Amino acid sequence: MDFTLIVALVIALALIFDFTNGFHDTANAMATPIATGAMRPKVAVGLAAVLNLIGAFLSTEVAKTISGGIIKEGDAGVQITPEIIFAGLIGAIVWNLITWLRGLPSSSSHALFGGLIGATIIGVGSQAVAYDVVLAKVILPALIAPLTVGIVAFLATKLAYSITRRDSGKADGRGGFRYAQIFSSSLVALAHGTNDAQKTMGVITLTLIASGMQDVGTGPQLWVITTCALAIAIGTYTGGWRIILTMGRGLTEIKPAQGFAAETSTAATILASSHLGFALSTTQVASGSVIGSGLGRRGSTVRWGMAGQIGLGWVLTLPAAAIMGAFAAGLALIGPMGIVLDLVIGSLVVALLFRRSRLNRVTHDTLHDIDDAGRVVKIRKTPRKASRSDRKKVAL
Amino acid sequence: MIDWSAFLVVAFASLLSSAVVVSLYSLGLRLLTTAGRVPVVEPVEFTGAITVLTPKRAAKEAKRVRKAAASPLGPVQKQVALMGAYACFVLCSAAVLYGVYLIVPALHR
Repeated sequence: MDFTLIVALVIALALIFDFTNGFHDTANAMATPIATGAMRPKVAVGLAAVLNLIGAFLSTEVAKTISGGIIKEGDAGVQITPEIIFAGLIGAIVWNLITWLRGLPSSSSHALFGGLIGATIIGVGSQAVAYDVVLAKVILPALIAPLTVGIVAFLATKLAYSITRRDSGKADGRGGFRYAQIFSSSLVALAHGTNDAQKTMGVITLTLIASGMQDVGTGPQLWVITTCALAIAIGTYTGGWRIILTMGRGLTEIKPAQGFAAETSTAATILASSHLGFALSTTQVASGSVIGSGLGRRGSTVRWGMAGQIGLGWVLTLPAAAIMGAFAAGLALIGPMGIVLDLVIGSLVVALLFRRSRLNRVTHDTLHDIDDAGRVVKIRKTPRKASRSDRKKVAL
Repeated sequence: MIDWSAFLVVAFASLLSSAVVVSLYSLGLRLLTTAGRVPVVEPVEFTGAITVLTPKRAAKEAKRVRKAAASPLGPVQKQVALMGAYACFVLCSAAVLYGVYLIVPALHR
C-alpha cells in the first residue's frame, strides 16, 4: 500500500468523522431555541454552522492534547504509524454506528479516543499510550465536567427564577428569556466548534507527525484547521434539516429561563475546558446541564434509573471503541490486505451511515441523548398553584 | 501529573461566568417588567414548533401585561428602571464578549 495513499485515506476518514460529529450535535445547541420558538429553524441551523466554523479557529489547545499528548509519538516513545491511526478511526466510526443503530447513549469523542487507544495498544504496544495524559485530559474531565456543569446549571436556574420571581402574581417577564436563548445557544455552537472540531484536527496532525510530514510537538497547520472547520460546519448545517423534520416528535419541556441557564452553563464550561486543553464530550456536558437546570426548578425529582442508564452508556463507550480499534489494528497488522479489509468494512459502515442519515426516521442520536437527560428530572405540574394554596392555609 | 487545580479553574470560571451572565440578564428582565415593558415574545409559527400561542393564551398574556404595566411607580421611577434594565443588558453582553476575548489566544499577541 502506498505510503501517501494511507495518509490521504486517514485524512478523508477523519473529515468524515468530523462531518458526522457536527451532524449529530446541531441539536445540542439549537434544539431548545427552535422548540421554544426563539428562532426560526433555518436561521438557527445556519447560525450554528457559521459559529461552529468560527469556533474551530478560536483555539487549538484540544487539538494539541490529541496530537501531542495521548499517544507518545516522539523519540522517547514508540513511532506510531498512519495505519494504526487509520485502524483507530475505523474502530471509532464502527462503534458510533452500532450505538446509533442500537439506540445506546454514546459520545463520539470518547469513541474516537477509545478507538485510537485500542489500536495503539494492539498495533504498537501498551507502552505507547500516555495513560497519565489520558487520565488527566480525557477520563477525569469526562467524570468531573458533567457533574460540575450540573451544579452550575442548577445554581444558575435558581438565580434566574429567584431574580425574576414576583409573588404578587403579576407578569414576571420570563418570556424575555427567549431572546437571551438566541445568544446562549449561539455560544453553545461556538463552544462546540472550539472543542469538537479540534479532535479531528488533532487526529490529522497526529497522522502528519507519524508519517514524518510534520515536526513532533507542533500544532495543527492552517489547512488542517480550515478543512476541519468546514467539515464540522457543513455537518452541522446538514444535520439541522433532519432535526427540523423530527421536531414534531416533541422534546422534553424546557422553559425559556431554564434553557437559558442551562445553555449559559454549558457554553461556559466547554469554553473554559477548551482553553485548558480538556477534550470533553459536548453531549455529556449538555446533558449534565439539562439535568442540573431541571433540578433547579420547583417540584423536581430525579428518575435515578434513567440517569443510571445514561451513565452506563457513557462508561461503556471508551472501552468498547477501544476493542473495535484493537480489532481493526489487528487486521491492519497483517499488511496491505488487512488494510484493504479494514477499508472495505469501514466504507461499508460509512455507506450504511449515510443511507440511514438520508432517512428521516431517526432511531437514536444526540437529540435523543439530550431528550433522555431532560426526562431524568421529573417536574411536578403547576407547582406554583400548590405553593399558593399552602400560603393561604398559613394565612387562615 | 494530574493538574487538579485546572479542574478547579474550569469549575470556578464556569460558575462565575454563568452566575454573572444569568444574574445580569434576569435583573434586566425584572427591571424591564418593573418599568412596565413586559417582554412578550410571540412564538413563531412553523411546522413542528411546539410552543404555539393559542388565542386564549394570547389574551391571557395581554391581560398579564396590562396588569404589570399598571405599576405603582411614577413616570420618573419607570424611566430609571428602564435605564437600569438597559444597563444590565449592556453589562451582560460585555461580560460575554470579555469571556470570549479571554479564551482566544490570537487576541492577546
